[in-house]
Amino acid sequence: MANKMKIIKKSMAWYYPNYLLPKIRGVIQCRDYARNTTFQSYYQNPVFRKEDQAKLIESSELSKIAAFPVKPPAACETSSVYHDPIVNKVINHIMEMGKKSLARSLIEKAFENIKRTQIERYHLASTQQEKDKIELDPKKILHQAIENSKPLLQLTPIKRGGITYQVPGPITENRSLFLAIKWLLEATYEKERTVHFPEQFAWELLDAASNSGKVVKRKQDLHRLCEANRAYAHYRWQ
Amino acid sequence: MLSRNWRHLCRRYSQAVTFRTNENSPAQQNDKQVGLFYTVNPDLCKQLFSHGGFPKSFMKQTKTFTETAIMVRQPALDLINCIRASDMDQPAIRYVLYGEKGTGKSLTLAHLLHYAHEDGFLIVHVPWVSEWLRRITRHKEMSNSQTREGLVDLPLDAAAWLIHFKSQNQKLLKSGNLKTNKEYVWSKREKTEVGSPLSDLVELGINRVKYACDVIDALVDEIKILSNNKQCKTFVAIDGFNSFFYPLTRLNTPTKRKVEPDEVTLTSSFMKITKNDWKNGVIVVTADELSVPEEHHESYLPRYLLYKKGFEHLDPFVPIQINRYSDKEFMTCVSYYRDRLWLRGPTEIEMELKFTSASNPYKFMEQCAPL
Repeated sequence: MANKMKIIKKSMAWYYPNYLLPKIRGVIQCRDYARNTTFQSYYQNPVFRKEDQAKLIESSELSKIAAFPVKPPAACETSSVYHDPIVNKVINHIMEMGKKSLARSLIEKAFENIKRTQIERYHLASTQQEKDKIELDPKKILHQAIENSKPLLQLTPIKRGGITYQVPGPITENRSLFLAIKWLLEATYEKERTVHFPEQFAWELLDAASNSGKVVKRKQDLHRLCEANRAYAHYRWQ
Repeated sequence: MLSRNWRHLCRRYSQAVTFRTNENSPAQQNDKQVGLFYTVNPDLCKQLFSHGGFPKSFMKQTKTFTETAIMVRQPALDLINCIRASDMDQPAIRYVLYGEKGTGKSLTLAHLLHYAHEDGFLIVHVPWVSEWLRRITRHKEMSNSQTREGLVDLPLDAAAWLIHFKSQNQKLLKSGNLKTNKEYVWSKREKTEVGSPLSDLVELGINRVKYACDVIDALVDEIKILSNNKQCKTFVAIDGFNSFFYPLTRLNTPTKRKVEPDEVTLTSSFMKITKNDWKNGVIVVTADELSVPEEHHESYLPRYLLYKKGFEHLDPFVPIQINRYSDKEFMTCVSYYRDRLWLRGPTEIEMELKFTSASNPYKFMEQCAPL
């Protein structure tokens, strides 16, 4: 594929207008460059997962995209067995000042803590039934925790007749994911000074995965508020 | 072609491998058990290692796995054979374990301690020398030695060590066969008579922390005499021995003067016991990079770590290198981790991990952690 790309790149017309390009967003992990980069706007996002590439080949969409230049994938976008877009997202949320390796080490330590507690519980459990109930994969726990803390509704302030109403309404998938991660991290930062971040984060994740804890309560509070404010719902369109 | 090789290798590594052995006594283990894990009895573990002896990361691991399993490795077996074959009437032979960081020097030492305990040795074990010389806690206590001019005592550490010594040698000390050969006068009212049992001496050190360092010094002398008289055989194990020879410690006297390792009384006592002027004993020490500050991690070889002084002090010694995992050991370790659920996921990653960790036991364990 890479070889083909090179040949096509040479013959590519550089002034190709943007709106003529096919959109291939659906399949791939979205990776938008936040700032101006050296890449022109017609550069396509890379397809770096083998499954996604196979999907493209299967749906014979590859020939459509093959003619366009592709941005290089970032260092974290690998085809490793352990690549996980959600984990990457959380790492980016934890990151401060662009210190990504630090953020990654923190989340890995949190995973280690989760794994330790779960494995210990597993080995101490006496019956097979109890053992089967325990989820051992830290990534699955993270997914479950985020799934459990995603809100379904949101409140938007809308001004009607000089009064600002908190109006409940639907929430987009992206925003609810953002809120879930943000809440999980905010709950983690509310900790004793002596407790380290990975420990607290592990606890929060385990709590949220079992549908309890601060974050799930916060979600339920929001839902309750939305329910209470349902009388204002019509302000969304009036 | 490459992918087929890859798959082939993966399959080879994923085969069900026996990774445990029921041979739980190190004295019985032989070459058949190389690379296999044996479990240590929890009670014995508590007795031998409750006051240190295992690295911290391994302690965590035992808690997670709810068992203490040590891999039987070639250097440990070789050493046990050596100890068995050597003539105890000759001066004590000194063995130096060395190797890269995280290859298992301390665990090999733990394995040997288990052997020594089973074989009825009197164990003199220092879990980690840097704990005394390089780790400054809030409760660290220092005082000038009463008996030896210009030296520094670490009474609390010494007392803690005496407790460790007592718990490791419960059986031998209880039997009461070991008696002192000299009279020790501690103060006007306190003294230890000739022929009082060794446990009394240890108790005195624990109860009167002020004299703990002097008690250790006396204890070392007594042990040497007892071994020479064939009343007991002694196994000396010191982890991170090279810390004694690093030019400076982190200790400061009240007058802000830096303390050298030679100026600590504990150092002189353990220097005495590592000399080969006594017999009926075995001395195993490790030279570990981790016991000196990071700027001196250039080499893991004994000559570099022990400096000239330490090298000459120990010379002649038997160097024993602890290597990284061999292919077979790596394979059993993988299946052990899979059994304990520490390593999860598809079989391809085993090869991936083998490359990234370079078969280094500690790194392998660490890299499995977040998976």
